[in-house]
Amino acid sequence: MARISRRSIAARMAAPTALVGAVAIFGLVAFSSGPAQADTTTTTTASTATTPAPVAVDPTTVATPPGDVTATTDTTSTTGPTPTPYGVGATAGSPGAQPGSVQAEPSAVTALPSAEATAKAAAPSNQGGIYYPALPAAYIAPGQALFAANCSSCHGAEANGKDGVAPNLQRLGAGTVDFWVSTGRMPLANTSAQAIRKPPRFNRTQTLQIAAWVQSLTPGEGTQIPLVKTSGADLEQGNTLFTLNCAACHTISGAGDALMEGAYAPSLHLATTTQIVEAIRSGPGNMPHFGVGNIPNSEARDITAYVTEVLQHPNNSGGVGLGGIGPVGEGFVGLLIGVGLLMLVCFWIGDRS
Amino acid sequence: MIDKTLNWFDDRLGTAKGGRSFLDKIFPDHWSFMLGEIALYSFIILLGTGVFLTLYYVPSAHEIVYHGSYVPLRGQNVSEAYGSTVGLSFDVRSGLLMRQAHHWAADIFLGAIAVHMARVFFTGAFRKPREFNWIVGVIMLILGILNGFLGYSLPDDLVSGTGIRIAFSIVESIPVVGSYLAFFLFGGNFPGSGVIIPRFYVIHVLIIPAILVGLLAAHLGLLIKQKHTQFPGKGRTEKNVVGSPMFPNFIAKTTGFLFMSFAVIFLLGGFAQINAIWQFGQYQPFQISYAVQPDWYMGWLDGAARIMPAWEWVGWGHTIPLEIFLPAVIFPGLIFNILIVWPFIESIWTKDHEYHNLLDRPRDRPKRTAAGAAMLTLLFGVFFASSTDVMANFFQLPLMDVLWFFRFFVPLAPIVAYFLTFKICNEMRVAEGIGKRKRALIVERSTEGEYTTTEAPVRPGDGHEEIDAIPVPTFIDTTDPSLATAAGVRRVIR
Repeated sequence: MARISRRSIAARMAAPTALVGAVAIFGLVAFSSGPAQADTTTTTTASTATTPAPVAVDPTTVATPPGDVTATTDTTSTTGPTPTPYGVGATAGSPGAQPGSVQAEPSAVTALPSAEATAKAAAPSNQGGIYYPALPAAYIAPGQALFAANCSSCHGAEANGKDGVAPNLQRLGAGTVDFWVSTGRMPLANTSAQAIRKPPRFNRTQTLQIAAWVQSLTPGEGTQIPLVKTSGADLEQGNTLFTLNCAACHTISGAGDALMEGAYAPSLHLATTTQIVEAIRSGPGNMPHFGVGNIPNSEARDITAYVTEVLQHPNNSGGVGLGGIGPVGEGFVGLLIGVGLLMLVCFWIGDRS
Repeated sequence: MIDKTLNWFDDRLGTAKGGRSFLDKIFPDHWSFMLGEIALYSFIILLGTGVFLTLYYVPSAHEIVYHGSYVPLRGQNVSEAYGSTVGLSFDVRSGLLMRQAHHWAADIFLGAIAVHMARVFFTGAFRKPREFNWIVGVIMLILGILNGFLGYSLPDDLVSGTGIRIAFSIVESIPVVGSYLAFFLFGGNFPGSGVIIPRFYVIHVLIIPAILVGLLAAHLGLLIKQKHTQFPGKGRTEKNVVGSPMFPNFIAKTTGFLFMSFAVIFLLGGFAQINAIWQFGQYQPFQISYAVQPDWYMGWLDGAARIMPAWEWVGWGHTIPLEIFLPAVIFPGLIFNILIVWPFIESIWTKDHEYHNLLDRPRDRPKRTAAGAAMLTLLFGVFFASSTDVMANFFQLPLMDVLWFFRFFVPLAPIVAYFLTFKICNEMRVAEGIGKRKRALIVERSTEGEYTTTEAPVRPGDGHEEIDAIPVPTFIDTTDPSLATAAGVRRVIR
């Protein structure tokens, strides 16, 4: 029977311990940060894109004269399933962002008022907890300039697209534009693959200006920019609807997953309430779009609340969430940490001759 | 007092004799011989935590309205099985810890069996006379996998319900009898008439554990009867067992290991979330979540089904769905049958029908080691293929590319692994001093500038010292020479 000194045990333990430990730590780190990495988004997105933040409204500094589009009728009281027509700005003003400036100046200013503030301010178009405040007309001219400088090379000067290059944006509405620009997907990084979420190039005001200009081309058409008041939402209903309509691609935990033909359903962990409703209504990329006949506004609000309040802050009772990707992460931990650790114990207390 | 008690039992049950041989049982010392104990101790945890869970779990598909403390589920119609599992996770003290420890213990149980099995395989411990114990082990593995599947199906959540749906299709894919068998097991077409959950429950908590306990007793009984194998070494022969006795050495070691296993499993149960069913929701046959995998020990079957091309055979008015029948019925059937008959295949192949109590070093049996490595590569290949979607998403690759990679990797990699392992084994057999720790070299320069190299002395602890075997006490059951009828015949006084 061999007798082994403590020193040699330590020496022999060192290499396997380090190896298993390193692999295990890598696994934990990789899986626990999985969904975020999959979307190549940094935290800046989350902070800059948090829409319904308290607002600093400054209606005095209107940079450009409104122009003829302001003649559109003010139908802010529209209710029901029809999309709100683009109306004259009544609640918000322009903080006067530099037209044409593509350098995203991180601005704390959010041009749209918060959902709560809007609700108090005579509720322009409350549709089941979703509000469609009008964009200020003053946004249109700087929006056009921004569009011309950053978007028109593909989408054309009139936003009517180019065959085989980029789609026609007319009739898509401000909400569609806002979704693509505020999630950083536009301007596109790589024309051959699905657009990825990345830190947006434009600040909130600039994004809204571009959206306002595209909307002004076809007033009243397409998806509007929603503000969602999630406080009264029905989470149970949202859970049911999410499972039924969204989980088949975005997965039940909202972590997202790869789909066929190189497409993927992105993670929902960074999506804002506005972006979620915009995506539901406009159906970006491979996602189907759901009209108000399919998912009424109140249900869209429930889904949004479920995503932002439950999925983005999951109840991880029972410890580390392991990335919310289910048995793959669990098997990894069970085998590498569970069995691996116990094998090390074997190695520790057993003989190694 | 203790003396008296023990004597009382000995007078009636004769425990002293059995106890003596038990306490004197010799355990050869090698760390890899303890891998099976991980499985044993996780099994104990499985039994303990499992009993706790049965106190709160309701095996019924009957629909109720959830009123527990998890808000997003409140007011939803859920089955009693699902509702009670969420309930025991949130509303029963230490319920979630027990459930998670149970689940982790299951993952570790099967992982330990796999590692233990690999050890037995690569060292040739399955050879005569231990073929029977190998088969018992394989059957326990199969039952363990099956029971794991049944167990994680019991909560009736969205992810596991998808698994049951797949299981139904797998049974259905068997030619001729498939649909009858599936209807028999599920009590009708999927999702059955509410009998799946109670049936799975009885099988999971009663039938398979009972068989497992029986097989475990047989496994350990055979191990005691046939005694341990040992690695070849000084003083170790086919005819003896060299190691430390059960008492006091091994019992201290193994008890420590028992608590270590408990610690690891309960630490995982307390700090690492597993199967957060409240996030998945109740299973509905018309709903599905993407990114659904089975637990790891079923992953290789899922992976085989994923990479299988969509082939089917149609004829005489019947369809055989080869895309599911081949990977999910034929493939595991082949694997398990190969495992069961391997000891016999090998003894026929090598014409070796001798008793073996000394183990092989893996490198000294290059063909067996290579075959084992090929098998492991195959299984790991299909295992990783079950996470094609997660990999595609994680590494941002197109899903179909990942899938096609595995379609080539799974059949080709085992061949490469076989020849690579074979080559490595053969190289290791001829290499000098392999497996031994290198001794330091002392390089000295003389005053003339000449360099000389000498080997450093052996490090303390690297050398082997033989200790004299401790004679087994003989005071129990001494034979009275006057009673012996002939030399070698021993009469036991009743």
